[in-house]
Amino acid sequence: MDLADRRGLETDVYQPAEDSQLLADAACRRIDDGLVLEVGTGSGYVADRIATETDARVIASDVNPHACRQARERGLEAVRADLVSPFVDDAFDAVAFNPPYLPTEEDAEWDDWMERALSGGESGREVIDPFLAAVGRVLAPGGVVYLLVSSLTGVDEVVERAGEEGFSAVAVADESFPFETLTVLELVR
Amino acid sequence: MKESLLEILCCPLDKHDLELEDAEYDGDEVISGTLVCSECGERYAIEDGIPNLLPPDMREETPA
Repeated sequence: MDLADRRGLETDVYQPAEDSQLLADAACRRIDDGLVLEVGTGSGYVADRIATETDARVIASDVNPHACRQARERGLEAVRADLVSPFVDDAFDAVAFNPPYLPTEEDAEWDDWMERALSGGESGREVIDPFLAAVGRVLAPGGVVYLLVSSLTGVDEVVERAGEEGFSAVAVADESFPFETLTVLELVR
Repeated sequence: MKESLLEILCCPLDKHDLELEDAEYDGDEVISGTLVCSECGERYAIEDGIPNLLPPDMREETPA
């Protein structure tokens, strides 16, 4: 499955798909309350599920202004942000992220918001790596990260990188599809 | 945005506190205004209830 298949007709905001659902299911099972951030919220689906199904207060952030508007229209607290950069230290009990993870040839990329939502650059990890480097700062003591990863991105590589940032990773959900296996990693320190 | 969100927001550049200026409210929601870094003075707009806390060098990135 490549970007063209994933894009469909929507060009501004990534709409919920199997990956969103898997992440929402795993996060809702494991979060009770507290303050939760969803990075790259897109349509706001995952954040909305957590806000509805748990007692947590949920903040939804995205770099894409159209996504921020969709999230706010769902009644979520939306912030336009680059990953976790405008949040204070030790703020969140949990951070959920369904990142852009599809490996993409540079010349095959589209220069629009949907490409930003899907493409993880050549490695598939060009957004995941800076996220892993930054997220520890905003996690409260005992805080947890729920990160969706695809076999196309390389789960082992992500786990190794998370380890370098001081996290231990456990797979808490996975689901196989014809071209990829999706995994939700729970990262703790 | 709710004003209580300010407690968990900071300047994306230097992580210092933000101060709310020129706020317009709809009930307890801040609909528009400006968040100003208490340290570096950088200004971040709140529009339609959404604070734009992208660092200044990313604000111009607007894919089609």
